[in-house]
Parts: sequence; C-alpha cells; structure tokens
Amino acid sequence: MARKRTTTRIVVSTVSAWVVGFIFFFPILWMILTSFKTELDAFSIPPKFLFFHWTTENYATVQERSNYVHHALNSVILAGGSTLIALLIAVPAAYAMAFSPTKRTRGTLMWMLSTKMMPPVGVLVPIYLLFRDFNLLDSRIGLIAVLCLGNLPIVIWMLFTYFKEIPKDILEAARMDGATIGKEMVYILMPMAVPGIASTLLLNVILAWNEAFWTLNLTTSTAAPLTVFIASYSSPEGLFWAKLSAASTLAIAPILIIGWFSQKQLVRGLTFGAVK
Amino acid sequence: MPALAIRNASSKAVLLPTVVVMIVCFYGSILWTIYISFTRSGMLPSYSLQGVAQYVRLFHTARWHTAFANMFIFGGLYIVAAIVLGTLLAILMDQQIRLESVFRTIFLYPLAMSFIVTGLAWQWFLNPTMGLQHFVRSLGWESFTFNWIVDRNYAIYTLVFAAIWHGTGLIMAIMLAGLRGIDSEIWRAVRVEGIPRWRAYLRIVIPMLRPLMVTCVVLLAIDVVKSYDLVIAMTKGGPGTSTDLPAKFVVDMSFERANIGLASAGAVIMLIVVLAAVGPYLYFELGRKNR
Repeated sequence: MARKRTTTRIVVSTVSAWVVGFIFFFPILWMILTSFKTELDAFSIPPKFLFFHWTTENYATVQERSNYVHHALNSVILAGGSTLIALLIAVPAAYAMAFSPTKRTRGTLMWMLSTKMMPPVGVLVPIYLLFRDFNLLDSRIGLIAVLCLGNLPIVIWMLFTYFKEIPKDILEAARMDGATIGKEMVYILMPMAVPGIASTLLLNVILAWNEAFWTLNLTTSTAAPLTVFIASYSSPEGLFWAKLSAASTLAIAPILIIGWFSQKQLVRGLTFGAVK
Repeated sequence: MPALAIRNASSKAVLLPTVVVMIVCFYGSILWTIYISFTRSGMLPSYSLQGVAQYVRLFHTARWHTAFANMFIFGGLYIVAAIVLGTLLAILMDQQIRLESVFRTIFLYPLAMSFIVTGLAWQWFLNPTMGLQHFVRSLGWESFTFNWIVDRNYAIYTLVFAAIWHGTGLIMAIMLAGLRGIDSEIWRAVRVEGIPRWRAYLRIVIPMLRPLMVTCVVLLAIDVVKSYDLVIAMTKGGPGTSTDLPAKFVVDMSFERANIGLASAGAVIMLIVVLAAVGPYLYFELGRKNR
C-alpha cells in the first residue's frame, strides 16, 4: 500500500516536472525553432512546430544586413577581457584574504559584496562624465574597465571561498622550502585552485556577456556587444521576427553551452554565497 | 618572526589596489551623485548647493510617481510569485524524480539568459497581433483577448511574467539546497506519526526554511531595484510611461532630459530603498557569522 502510494507520487511528480520543464524551456526552444523558419512560416496559423521548411537564410541575412560579427566579437572581447583582468586583480586579493586572514577580513568581503547590491544608476552620471572627459565613450577599453570593476566583488568572493578549501599546510610547506610569494601563488596555489578559478571564470563570462545596463548606456556602435545590438533591433514590427530570433539564438548559444556546465557557479555567485 | 610580518604586510599590500579602486570608484561616485542631487545641475554638473529643491521637484513629477509605484507593484508581485513557484518547484525536485539534474538545469536556464533576450522573447509572446492572443484566436476562440502589454493599466504585469520566468530557477535552487539540508530524522518522525506529506511541508519543513526565504526576498528585492534592461527590451517604458521603473527614469532624466540634478535625486532615493532592504539583512548576517 505504502509502496503503491510512493510510486504514484513519483509518477505524478515526474509528469509535472516534464510539464513545468517544457513550459520553462518553451520560450528558448521556440526562439531557436523560429530562427530556422522563413518569415512567412514564423507567422503561419496554426504555428508550425517542427514541420516547416527549415532554412538557414535568416542567419545569412542577419550577417549581411548588419555587422553581426562585429558585435559578437565585441561581446567576446568585453566578456573575456573583463574576466581576465578581474582574475588578475582578484587572485592576489583572494589569496591575501584566504591565507592571512585578520579580524576584518569577513567585513571587508561583505563590504565588497555590498557594492554589488547597489543599483548601478547611483553611479551612472559620474561614470558617464568621466568616460566623456577621458574619451572612453563607446570604447572597448572603458567598457572592459567598468564590467571588470562591476563584477570584481563577486570574482574575489568566489575565489576566496574556493581558496579557503585548500589546506594551508601545503602552502606553508612551500614557504619553508623557500618559495617566494609569487612562486607560491603560481606553482602551488594556482594548480590546486584550477577548478575554482575555472568556475569563477565561467560565471564571470556569463555575467559580463549578459550585462546590459552599462553596455546600453556607454556604447552606441563601435564597442556595442550583442546585448545592445539585439536591444536596438527589439521592435520586430511583425516582419523580422525570424531574423531577430536568429540574432538572439546566436547571442544565447554560448550561454546555452556554458550555462549547462556552470549552473552551480551561477547559483553560488548570484546568491552571494547563500547556496554553495 | 620578521619574515612572517613582512609576508603578512605584503599580502595586505596586494589587497590594497583593489580596495582603493573600489573606494574611489564606488564611494567617490556615490558621494558625487548625492552631492549633485542637492545642486541646480541641469545638463552639466554645477556645484552650487540649493538644498532639497530637486527632491521636492522629484516628488512633484508624475512620471517619478509612476516609476516608484511600479517598482513596488512589480517587485511585490514578482517576489511573492517567484518565491511561491520556486518553493513548489524545489519540493517537486525533492521527490526523487528521474533526470533531476536535467530538470534543474532547465529551470536554471532562464537565469543564464540576459534580460534583453528574456524581454524580447516575452514581448513577442505577449504581443496581441503575433503571440498568444493571435494564436488562441486562430484556434477559433475569436473573442479571446490578452493585450496587457499594450494596455497602460496592465503592461506592468507583463513585466512580472517575464521576470518570474527568469528568476524562479534561482529560488528553486536556494530552496532545494535548504530542503536537502533538512534532517532525515524529521522525515522519519513525519512518517511514524502518519502526517500527510503536504501538511508536513506546510507546517514543519517550510517554517524551518524561513531564514532562506528571507535571503530570497533580499536577493530579489536587490534585483527589482536594479531592473532596467528587462523594461528596455520588453516595453521601453511604454505604453506612454506606464511601465517606467526608477532606473529607467534616472537614465532618461540624465541623458534625454539632460537634468542631472533630478536624476541624481532619483538615484539617491533608489539607494535608500536598497539600503532599507539590504541593511538589516547584512547587519544580522554579519552579526551571526561573527558570533
């Protein structure tokens, strides 16, 4: 009896999980499917789910009519550049906090994280004016700096939690053998922290890739990444939906892949460590 | 041991640049914004103080009222719905279903999407002439109407739908972690006592997860105050200004209306709202960890 009820429960839960999962995935799926339709099929009534004329012409058109590759390249440069610089700054910082902690370490960390909680509009005007005065508007360098600073607290904090798990004794042993701080970090700490650094890197790439507040307000075309490109397209007017879907699909494709591997880090980073 | 002292000092030194940059960029900018909010600044910053005039003006601006009220409507509905749905999903995931990790990934996928893509997908889905309404009508239900996104009274609620889709996975993950942390003794006791499962969840398990729920509320509240890109991608604040949010108001005031003073006043109010939401939480969180 009890067993039967358990089976029923599992069946019911599995079915509802499928249903909810489908609903959740539907918008993404539909966007991907639409990107392979002709503009006519995209609006056919009733909607064609799988049995339509598959075409890749939208992808070709997107590149022809606009400088898609340019914006995609910007996205890669901005996400990659800001992540690498953030890591360069954050590894020493996290090292210092994880291996020579003081009474104030926890407070410093929380303070750093708290800056990430503030709405960015609070600093928009001064940053904008600085950018204008230093001729950084619509430049990749300026944007890399802002994105890097914006995500730095999370990067430091993630690395800190990973470094914490590395036994201090190993570093101390290296120290006894006369390794300098630099050597200790590069040859002892880094190899052990590779998984942690890799997850932090993935998380930051996703965050920087998706960032839209600063990219929308500080760029127009030269340095504009995919988010800006798609936002500027965002009035489909009923005619270009398939093409817009193609552009969006290309923009989310890397995220779909990276996201699969780094969901845990995503949760960890976005909850400021409430969930590990 | 002087070597150790040097080591400690040098490890402080590597931390210094980060701290300095953060203090200058972050606090410097915020202080500047606060200062400007008390000046007459228009298109360009001016540094002569004029008291709280910008704030008075701000609260006499109808558009700010809409934006500010929208933040609470949007935020309230989004937070409640995301937490309820997220908790239900977490309970569902906790029933030993097959392929659990696949489902978990699917629920988390929206979270990895940018708000721009999210807004775009939902804008299209809710558009009366292209999306849901069009589809249902084509099935033969001619009178079906779902045009909230173009109705100034209801457009703000469409933002809630998109935000829920985006954020529920995060709550699910938090609550699932909480559910997994529940002592198995409690479940054994529930079984022995013969308490129905749904009651056990409602009366025993969920109350135990209250601290996690508080975390969820704070995290979502931070997101709500920050919301900007979702509105831009989905409604651009329209129809009219009916879906304006404070962040969009501030950006528009800064650039389109060239009124830095008023924009800064709005930004300061937003900072205060975030502080009100986060401050007590951080305080207790820090207090708990230190003990």
